[in-house]
Amino acid sequence: MWTYLLEKEFKQFFRDPGLPKMLITFPLMMMLIFPFAVSMEIKNINLVVVDNNQTVTSGRLIDKCVKSGYFRLVEKSPTPERAQYLMDLNEADAILTIFSDFEKQFEAGNELPVSIKVNTINGSKGNIGAGYLSNCIRNFVKEESAGEMASAGSNIDVSTKFYYNKYMDYKVFMVPALIAIAITMITGFFPALNIVNEKETGTIEQINVTPISKSVFILCKLIPYWAVSFFVLSSCLIIAWIVFGYTCAGSILTLFIFTALHIMVTAGLGLLISNYSDNAQQAMFITWFFMMVFMLISGIFTPISSMPLWTQTITYLNPLRYYADAMRFIYLKGSTFADIWYDALGLFVIGSVMMGWTILSYKKSK
Amino acid sequence: MENGNIIEVKGLTKKFGTFTAVDNISFDVKKGEIFGFLGANGAGKTTAMKILCGLSKPTSCEGYVAGFDINSEQEKIKHHIGYMSQKFSLYSDLKVWENIRLFGGIYGLKRKDIAQRTEVIIKTLGMQDWKDSLVGTIPQGWKQKLAFSIAMIHEPQIVFLDEPTGGVDPETRRKFWEMIYDASEKGITIFVTTHYMDEAEYCDRVSIMVDGRIEAIDSPKALKEKYRVNNMDSVFRILAGGALRQ
Repeated sequence: MWTYLLEKEFKQFFRDPGLPKMLITFPLMMMLIFPFAVSMEIKNINLVVVDNNQTVTSGRLIDKCVKSGYFRLVEKSPTPERAQYLMDLNEADAILTIFSDFEKQFEAGNELPVSIKVNTINGSKGNIGAGYLSNCIRNFVKEESAGEMASAGSNIDVSTKFYYNKYMDYKVFMVPALIAIAITMITGFFPALNIVNEKETGTIEQINVTPISKSVFILCKLIPYWAVSFFVLSSCLIIAWIVFGYTCAGSILTLFIFTALHIMVTAGLGLLISNYSDNAQQAMFITWFFMMVFMLISGIFTPISSMPLWTQTITYLNPLRYYADAMRFIYLKGSTFADIWYDALGLFVIGSVMMGWTILSYKKSK
Repeated sequence: MENGNIIEVKGLTKKFGTFTAVDNISFDVKKGEIFGFLGANGAGKTTAMKILCGLSKPTSCEGYVAGFDINSEQEKIKHHIGYMSQKFSLYSDLKVWENIRLFGGIYGLKRKDIAQRTEVIIKTLGMQDWKDSLVGTIPQGWKQKLAFSIAMIHEPQIVFLDEPTGGVDPETRRKFWEMIYDASEKGITIFVTTHYMDEAEYCDRVSIMVDGRIEAIDSPKALKEKYRVNNMDSVFRILAGGALRQ
């Protein structure tokens, strides 16, 4: 009985005009477009400089800032009014003003007479821009006076070192999370449409009039999505490797185990929604609602630890929280199953509830 | 079953909220007969039939289908019945032979038996040319005949047919009834609903439902005599003419 039903599910999947194409396109888009698009790195900050000093030293500072790669020099404005005018037009994100005694003070080793003004209409861009700018100035002072400092020798040098993502590359941080999103979306939406489609075409009735057991029927609906998710996972890993040169720091087998657990949740949820919906629209909207909630409170885009406590509590019900967390830990840090057993437990518990509920709520007779 | 009845129903009632779709009906179906289940649209035929097939739960009922209790043994009943719904319900994205194979598999037939029965069905229906076509692409009449054959793939004791000849041409209808007679000769009980009164004449016995109740149940001949008319069409008009649900 199993083989016949599975055969049917697979044949129907591959004969669908849309699903196989989606299955190919989705990982490609996720891996080739979104790692760039969802970057939180701030680049291209429009910088206007008012240089009242006009010396070699002030020129070198400006150079230093532009060369950092984060800023785009709009212009060197002759007056502060002109610079403010540009900011009002929204053409400048930050204004760096160098005062006329800059070189003198610098040589004397005093506090530097510079000022930074940022446009905080886009708050995070403004803040981060100000941070980058003061960093540039600090580095400038450090490098320029390296010799003297070394002889003074009394300063403590604080340096930051990043583990697991050495170059703070945002893309590598996002790749495992994007894989998680791709798998969640595909294995959530596809099954949601599955049973409801059988309801709409009436084929479910022909199934319900047979003595088939509910759990066999539901499991045969679920199994193909394991195959689908493994395909998506493998293709995403391969694309990330070929295009960006990223590889998984941990065991790939562990990635697959977590994915298998996660599918119990997503496909289970999809089938559950399908059970309760009368038509495809209902199923789509309800699934969409859950997907939005899952993503926004998953910790993929914003860290869970910075959410208010009550939101943090809600995230424990979110399967994507566990899955995305596990994916990042395994992929970036090389965590083993023993390190993140709690994520597996979370997925397993939610998954079992989903599957049980789905089988119970599937009614062969009304 | 000892008395030769394969279906025995007493006091079958189905309510949807305050609406009573089937109102306390009782009837028997004899083993091997062709039983016509007639009634106007909305009279409650499909609802009653779905309860007998285990697709729907009765509000209250006592009775047996193929020797199993309607209330507590619905899944057991399903081993022994075939059902062809009003709405065509084979998989249109599977091929003809794949549909046969799937349902053969679901009913737990052996691989060898499935292959053999597929062969027989395709040959009997003369569908050699359609064998590898997707079911969605074949003409309506063929679909209906295929659905009927698949409903009988596991050699059930009873086959329920819900308006099996709706929307098919007269020639196909004639062939369809030949198939029904063939099945009946093999001892399979046929439980059929229809709106065509010429088809009602082909049945061994018919019941006529009006507003959720059975108004008459007998052989077509006896009914015609009782109402002193010469065809089933007139019998139907006399009985269903007074229906409130139209």
